[in-house]
Amino acid sequence: MDIIYFIVQQTMFFAIPLLIVALGGMFSERSGVINIALEGIMVMGGFFGIGFMHIFESRMSGQLLLLLALLVSGVTGAIFSLLHAFASINLKADQTISGTALNMFAPAFVVFIARMIQGVQQIQFKDTFRINKVPVLGDIPVLGPLLFQNCYITTYIGLGIAILSGIVISKTRFGLRLRACGEHPQAADSVGINVYKIRYAGVMISGALAGIGGLVFIVPTSTNFNASVAGYGFLALAVLIFGQWRTNKIIAAAFFFGIMKTFASAYSVVPVLRDLPISNEIYKMIPYIATLVILAFSSKNSQAPRAEGIPYDKGSR
Amino acid sequence: MEYVIEMNHITKEFGNFKALDDVTLCVKKGEVHALLGENGAGKSTLMSVLFGLYQAEQGEIKINGKPVKINNPNDANNLNIGMVHQHFKLVHNFTVLESIVLGRETVNGGFLKMDEARKKVVELSEHYKLKIDPDSYISDITVGMQQRVEILKMLYCDNEILIFDEPTAVLTPQEIDELMKIMKNLVDEGKSIIFISHKLNEIKAVANRCTVLRKGKYIGTIDVETATRETMSEMMVGRKVNFNLDKAEEKLGNVTLKVENLSVVSKISHKKVVDDVSFEVRRGEIVCIAGIDGNGQSELVYGITGLIPLQSGKIEINGKDITKDSIRKRSLAGMAHIPEDRHRHGLVLDYTVQQNVVLQTYFEPRFQRHGFIRFDAVREYAKKLIKQYDIRSGQDENSVTRGMSGGNQQKVIIARELDRDPDIVLAVQPTRGLDVGATEYIHKQLIKQRDNGKAVLLISLELDEVMEVSDRILVIYEGEIVADLDPKEVTVQELGLYMSGSKRKIAK
Amino acid sequence: MKKQKFELSKGGKDFIASIAAIAAGLLFGLVILLFSNARQAFPAFGMILKGGFTDGLSGIAQVLYVATPIILTGLSVGFAFKTGLFNIGAPGQFTCGAFAAVYIGVKWTFLPAGAHWIVALLGALIAGAIWGMVPGILKAIANVNEVITSIMMNYIGMYLVNILIVKFVYDPVRNQSVPVAKTANIPKAGLDKLFNYSNINISIFIAILAVIVIYIVLNKTIFGYELKACGLSPEASRYAGINAKRNIILSMTIAGALSGLGGGLLYLAGSGKYLQVVDVLAPQGFNGISVALLGISNPIGILFAGLFIGHITVGGNNIQLYNFVPEVVDIIISTIIYFGAFALLIKSLLDRFRRRPSESGAVKEEK
Repeated sequence: MDIIYFIVQQTMFFAIPLLIVALGGMFSERSGVINIALEGIMVMGGFFGIGFMHIFESRMSGQLLLLLALLVSGVTGAIFSLLHAFASINLKADQTISGTALNMFAPAFVVFIARMIQGVQQIQFKDTFRINKVPVLGDIPVLGPLLFQNCYITTYIGLGIAILSGIVISKTRFGLRLRACGEHPQAADSVGINVYKIRYAGVMISGALAGIGGLVFIVPTSTNFNASVAGYGFLALAVLIFGQWRTNKIIAAAFFFGIMKTFASAYSVVPVLRDLPISNEIYKMIPYIATLVILAFSSKNSQAPRAEGIPYDKGSR
Repeated sequence: MEYVIEMNHITKEFGNFKALDDVTLCVKKGEVHALLGENGAGKSTLMSVLFGLYQAEQGEIKINGKPVKINNPNDANNLNIGMVHQHFKLVHNFTVLESIVLGRETVNGGFLKMDEARKKVVELSEHYKLKIDPDSYISDITVGMQQRVEILKMLYCDNEILIFDEPTAVLTPQEIDELMKIMKNLVDEGKSIIFISHKLNEIKAVANRCTVLRKGKYIGTIDVETATRETMSEMMVGRKVNFNLDKAEEKLGNVTLKVENLSVVSKISHKKVVDDVSFEVRRGEIVCIAGIDGNGQSELVYGITGLIPLQSGKIEINGKDITKDSIRKRSLAGMAHIPEDRHRHGLVLDYTVQQNVVLQTYFEPRFQRHGFIRFDAVREYAKKLIKQYDIRSGQDENSVTRGMSGGNQQKVIIARELDRDPDIVLAVQPTRGLDVGATEYIHKQLIKQRDNGKAVLLISLELDEVMEVSDRILVIYEGEIVADLDPKEVTVQELGLYMSGSKRKIAK
Repeated sequence: MKKQKFELSKGGKDFIASIAAIAAGLLFGLVILLFSNARQAFPAFGMILKGGFTDGLSGIAQVLYVATPIILTGLSVGFAFKTGLFNIGAPGQFTCGAFAAVYIGVKWTFLPAGAHWIVALLGALIAGAIWGMVPGILKAIANVNEVITSIMMNYIGMYLVNILIVKFVYDPVRNQSVPVAKTANIPKAGLDKLFNYSNINISIFIAILAVIVIYIVLNKTIFGYELKACGLSPEASRYAGINAKRNIILSMTIAGALSGLGGGLLYLAGSGKYLQVVDVLAPQGFNGISVALLGISNPIGILFAGLFIGHITVGGNNIQLYNFVPEVVDIIISTIIYFGAFALLIKSLLDRFRRRPSESGAVKEEK
């Protein structure tokens, strides 16, 4: 039973950052802008968030520090994503090239700053955020150890973001207009909606969430930041596509991928897995292979936003 | 006279091209006012000016007697002007309700409040007898219902002046009757409607008055009830005839192209855009398919050349069945295609003249050896064609076609297609957008083909061209061939009647 | 015959846009250096610009060593670009090619000395080709966007190669691949003595050969003619009966082969570089994108772009002398790519500046 608790707890650590970043990608792509720079934005956000913690951890600790750091990460991500927004929306540049540039820039920039300031590229921080047991909730049989022990507040924040995203996309005016811009910007324009503004919003939301995702990725799983998020940004893209750009499917996809990652890393600890002839590398590959297969069969019925990747030109009629 | 809209002496230019030349349109309150004209007459341009998509160089617009400036669709909307475009602006995975309220949503702190909106939409729908289902998805409903959604969009924001741009182009006959009834209802409720069309029947059925444009000029405004179809047709096409071409007596040979029961279905509307078409073209004749744009001629050609799939039918060249053949195979069987869209299909715009002239023949032994291009051969060939067809450009065979004039670009295409010595040439609107000189030249080339015993299938929207160049005219209307005419025995006015669906010779 | 106003050719405009992007990237790098250590900034910047020349002949050899793999991945990405495809899968193809080369290098010792390294390189080519073919097939047949499939293949390739290294050619102490047989190392042909640099070998010539071959294919063959037509104008290509699906698959396969070859060249150099069993994507793959963009997807341009990036990379390594971090070169390169997005803007500015005569009569016909 302990094993199961362990697996669920670990899955949370892997799935939640994927979920947050993938949802960010959803906002950008459903507004019409492809954002493959999620990896780079995660690095930037993670770096500034961890950097903030590193600087201020002598003065405060615990959840307050973490929450402020999350804020810093989000803001950093949003600002960094402006570069992509400007190139894609105003300059109508190739969105994959602009995204690739940001992905290359972020780790290099981050290592550079780190080495400049402190000599080494790894930034350490103290983990004062681990919650051993949530009062009251942690004592519930079964559910308690599953969800409310050995956890981080980031898990609940992530789930909160998921619920909020779903509501915003489908039940608010902003969400309706955003979706229109991603499917048929001419239709949106013809009723007076400012497509450019909405797309900027979509990209900045993706930036903020990716930034937060970068921090959320590091905190539960290590005590230092080493200028990398191990491909999570791209995996989040896979989650987005696997989840067909819809909130509920993205949640499912994130957890599926999270479980695979857990199997991959907890491989040696879980007796069942150890005995199966599947090596941990294969678990790591499964999410990517699964995405390929899904894409191969569903690209005809893909629910990809119809106008994504196509720069909107008001003049073209 | 209570005019709700006055557009006085509007002139609109695009560079050197005058799309509208001193056009005046006056619409009374509560009337259905039709705007009639052929393709290129300027109808859509005029409405785009009214709707704020374009600004006129000269002229003024008055709404309810007050002069106004309309700089964008929002301004138009504020003046209660709404437009149903020919290509609907609907999001495929929104519901009907969402589509109607988009841009005008009722909200409470950012959250959509659909109940109030739903009530208003249902009320409007019942009041104006516009049947819709608020919860269906746009992709699931018929084109007729989609159009009603567009109309409700206008009514939802209290538009009083409603513009319909060729609304019946995508509807079935039943849906067209529905629309006519809806328009009458709207007008009874005090709305004013401008209805762009080239279909005389429909104008006769529903309009009060009709303004006719021809080639950007204002021809006149008539009272529809008292006008005859003949008068309207005459105003639309005019009498003058431009060119006198020397054509030898036709010498007919074997059947080169045979088309049997061809049908093409549109992927968007699931309607038959080409409906059971059959005809033949023989050696030594120029057959012209005449019709107003949008009646299926484009799809017919794409189907024959292989660019789009057929729903049913058979195609034969020189007796050989090519229905299932690839585009390359059809080309090798002797079919040449001068395409409608010279920039999209006819040329690789970023290639040079010499690269483009071998677009259909680069793999032939004369132009390549073991896969390597024989540049000398290609260059010589290009030079020959440039001289023969008088193609003018900055760097001759090395000019990038993107930078050439439209006429010369077309000459490259024609040179390439005709020099292949094809048995049948499909020429689609080959003189569109070209000046008089280039037009004359192209007509001469087509006639030369025919005099040399080749077959030509010409698709044209220009009545002058149709009358002068062809030996036989097939009129296409709503995807069907409705007449097979001899240009020597039919008048232009009559032709106009066939093209606008008012008359048909071949029974359904 | 019209009198031609001085008008920049398309190539000319592209070149200027490239230069502008490079200048912007370098300038930004300088600003970063100034920010962190103003005193040492200019000397360090100078060192980046001097690149391999700082160390004379051996420095130049180092530049060639660094440039060779990215010239190949640059060709890979550039070739795909010409056909209208974005080959972001270069890292995966590179790694698969590298593994194939190492495997053959370690295991197939039965091959005679002269042939061993050649066969190993061929293996690299084939492995890369297969890895590139998958996104190509998916795009041609199922219309799946090649960017996403390529990214997926990058990761699948990385993990797969890690598994295979551990299974077949593992050095558990250092967690990397074992050294290949001496006969599999690419011959140095005396170059190491000439340049006084042990890592140099004839692979730069192989790279140049690849550049020439790709140049010939693109510009002199009917295959290249078809590929470029598909990339420039897919609709017109269809009209002309060109088989777009086949060309997409072939193009991605060739692109994959090129990246794979690059991987083989790097890991058979006998330079002490071994395939690490880590979850890291080959940076040479991503640098190929920079090289292709800088070289405007033109094979000769790519050759020089690869040399340029190799040059500033070596320069970047040298600035550690001034206590700067070599990552500043990556910052410069990524900035150059980002400014490449401004290329359209620059080109349209150039157009307006030259006041192109409105000669093209393609006026919009209005209904």
